[in-house]
Amino acid sequence: MIKVENLSKKYGDLVVLKNISTEIKKGEVVSIIGPSGTGKSTFLRCLNLLDVPSSGSIFIDGKNILDKKIDVSKIRQKMNMVFQSFNLFSHLSVLENLTLGPMKLKGMSVDAAESKSMDLLRLVGLAEKAENYPDELSGGQKQRVAIARCLAMEPEIILFDEPTSALDPTMVSEVLSVIRRLAKEGMTMIIVTHEMAFAKDVSNRVFYMDQGLIYEEGSPQQIFDAPKKDRTKVFINRIRNFVFNIKTEDFDFYALNGEIEAFCEKQLVPKLVRANLLRVVEELLILYKPFLNKLELDLEITHSEKTNQLALTCQSEGHRFNPLEINDLEDDIGLKIIKKFTEAVNFEWKDNKNRLELIFNN
Amino acid sequence: MIKIFLLVLYILIPLQANANKEIQPISNLEDLKNKKIGVMLGSTHDAFAHKHYPEADILQYKSPADVLLGVKTGKVDVGIYNNVSLTEILKINPDLAVIDKPFEFSPVGFGFSKKNVELHTQFNTFFQTIKDSGIYDDMIERWTKKGITDMPKIDTPNKNGLLVAGHVSDVGLPFVTLRNNENIGLNIELAKRFAAYLGKDIRFDDMEFGGLIPALTTGKIDFIAVTLMFTEERKQKINFGEPYYEIGMSAFALKKNIALYSRENTTLDSPTFFKNILNSFQSNIIQEKRYLLLWDGLKTTIIISILAIIFGTFLGSIICFLRMSRNKFLNIPAKIYISILRGTPVLVILMIIFYVVFASVNINPIIVATIAFGMNCGAYAAEIFRSGIEGIEKGQMEAGIAMGFNKIKTFVYIILPQTIRRILPIYKGEIITLVKMTSIVGYIAVQDLTKASDIIRSRTFDAFFPLIFIAILYFLISLILIQSLDYLEKITDPKFKRKVRTKL
Repeated sequence: MIKVENLSKKYGDLVVLKNISTEIKKGEVVSIIGPSGTGKSTFLRCLNLLDVPSSGSIFIDGKNILDKKIDVSKIRQKMNMVFQSFNLFSHLSVLENLTLGPMKLKGMSVDAAESKSMDLLRLVGLAEKAENYPDELSGGQKQRVAIARCLAMEPEIILFDEPTSALDPTMVSEVLSVIRRLAKEGMTMIIVTHEMAFAKDVSNRVFYMDQGLIYEEGSPQQIFDAPKKDRTKVFINRIRNFVFNIKTEDFDFYALNGEIEAFCEKQLVPKLVRANLLRVVEELLILYKPFLNKLELDLEITHSEKTNQLALTCQSEGHRFNPLEINDLEDDIGLKIIKKFTEAVNFEWKDNKNRLELIFNN
Repeated sequence: MIKIFLLVLYILIPLQANANKEIQPISNLEDLKNKKIGVMLGSTHDAFAHKHYPEADILQYKSPADVLLGVKTGKVDVGIYNNVSLTEILKINPDLAVIDKPFEFSPVGFGFSKKNVELHTQFNTFFQTIKDSGIYDDMIERWTKKGITDMPKIDTPNKNGLLVAGHVSDVGLPFVTLRNNENIGLNIELAKRFAAYLGKDIRFDDMEFGGLIPALTTGKIDFIAVTLMFTEERKQKINFGEPYYEIGMSAFALKKNIALYSRENTTLDSPTFFKNILNSFQSNIIQEKRYLLLWDGLKTTIIISILAIIFGTFLGSIICFLRMSRNKFLNIPAKIYISILRGTPVLVILMIIFYVVFASVNINPIIVATIAFGMNCGAYAAEIFRSGIEGIEKGQMEAGIAMGFNKIKTFVYIILPQTIRRILPIYKGEIITLVKMTSIVGYIAVQDLTKASDIIRSRTFDAFFPLIFIAILYFLISLILIQSLDYLEKITDPKFKRKVRTKL
């Protein structure tokens, strides 16, 4: 139904979309997720030419809409859009917002348009607001009217551009349930959203967009439960990290401690876990200490907001070297402490890189 | 409007201050040298006063009525005016008198364009004919000696076209005045006889005195039917017809300031306030059917206002469209247009259009006024429209486009209705300004409400009443306009529609 080939969009030197190619079939519900500023909305707006792509082609039902001979207005009638900021026509009542398109664009009679619009308002649960004006509605009601206005044009595809981002948390669910209902009825939809649970639940397919690309795509289960690529993982698990670089034996240990504490504070890591982390870091650095003049060490602490998992990664280059495997130690208290406070320890030596990962109990 | 307001203030405020000021009684013309002298701008009196009384403070007024008012209200000590008209004026103003004897007699005649020698010759031939037949002597006898002020009936058939005479209708008898909304007087009779002689119809364009010669040289009028004094300066620009009269000048002042009368008890019984108003109403409005003059003026003001509003709105939309275009060949000219029109006085634009742009075209001054006011209004309207359109969120346009409307339909169905509601409050102010602005059309010989009051003042020499009266008329026009625009604002409020529906 929609086929995109090598779609690119540039604003001057800034490249927003890089050679995107994909295909969306009739009846599919596609969610687009990803960090802000990665071109999700731009991609959506390119599909109905609100933003004109710099290069590439878009086929809707086999017609290239970038072809100058094509009447874009006709295509847009088949592919309506719901905006983040609702964009209801403020000079028209709710009912008139719905009837304007069918009457002026499809030549529908007043009676037919009004009765159809009332049906749609009943569908979104706002029939009693028909005579009200947009400024008299709540955000959630406005967005439901906007969806009904879309439906009044009998579109084959609906593009949702962050439909709940401008809403109070209390109003999100009323809008989502309307979209869910449309999904059940088999409407083809592309939804840019930050509501992960909703995206997982409603879509057939999920695009994870990052840096102007569809970085990873797959079924909701694939993307949300077992993302394959790093950036997807970081995004899905909402991972925040903190890196400290150690070059010499005489590094500033107190600064390191301070920064770890600040990071833990920010990530709301429980006090006990934080104390354990600090102890482990200290013991680990004692093990590393004799070698610190020979190697450069990167300490990375990561925390997933989703799973609450805290991990410490130590990376260095050179020969295989694992401080936990040093045999000629005076005592093994350090090793014992480390073992006690961590849930798992993984070591890996690959491409001349040592990677020691310690995962903490919660 | 502002002009009227200022005039009222000008006349009212200093009354008290001047009343107490004693001036040295004037006994002869010599005494004028250090006085305040009122003259008519561009007249020979003006030139005379400047030449002979360089020490004096000379105030140049725009009409004889203003000179007279200046003297009466003490703005100036002495006025200089032609001795013939002054005799008439003094009859109805017993508190004034002339100083000494008339002086500087000079022949007067009509003025003709240097380019139209034929008309000049025709006039001189015609003048010889009526002199020979005795008609001329009879005219002089009737108007100036016997004081008979009935116009003989003169047929001016439109056989050979139209003759356009420029004149000043408020010079006063015996030369010209308005009675029952008709021009009468010696000048008028002479001009009409000349037209009849040529077999042409005649139209009198009432103008400011200073605008007569420019109008003649640019071809707006065929000849000047005013008692023009023969001066060297004027001779360089125009040709004078055979002189038909000799006019001198007289200086006049309030009796109490003239040595000869100063001992006379000049205090008159002052009538009561209401009687005063009633008298003023009688003389300014009813007498000589002056209400017709006001009625015509009112119609002209309303016609010009409405046409200019329509034209200005239309022009404003086009300029706004150009101004908002991304093409610099369209938006730069629009920007220039807006800054020029906003940066120049309307009066100047009005005169430029009348005397320069349409110099050689015979065009109805009402159309010129419409164009000038419309152009000015258009510049402001364009910016008002632009701010209205730009004030509407981008999302509204996008929603329309995304729905499948093209740009034009989106504008018509979605942007325009919201813009109109937004700009109406500011636009209302602009329209009212425009109505008041029309009070300057007298400059291009259009008889509007303000000009009508000027004419009445020139006959009755009553400053207060005609000004207050037209101030009220202007206010009423504005009030009606505001009310109807308020109503428009109300019905374009979407919520008003619902109220109506629910009431039904």
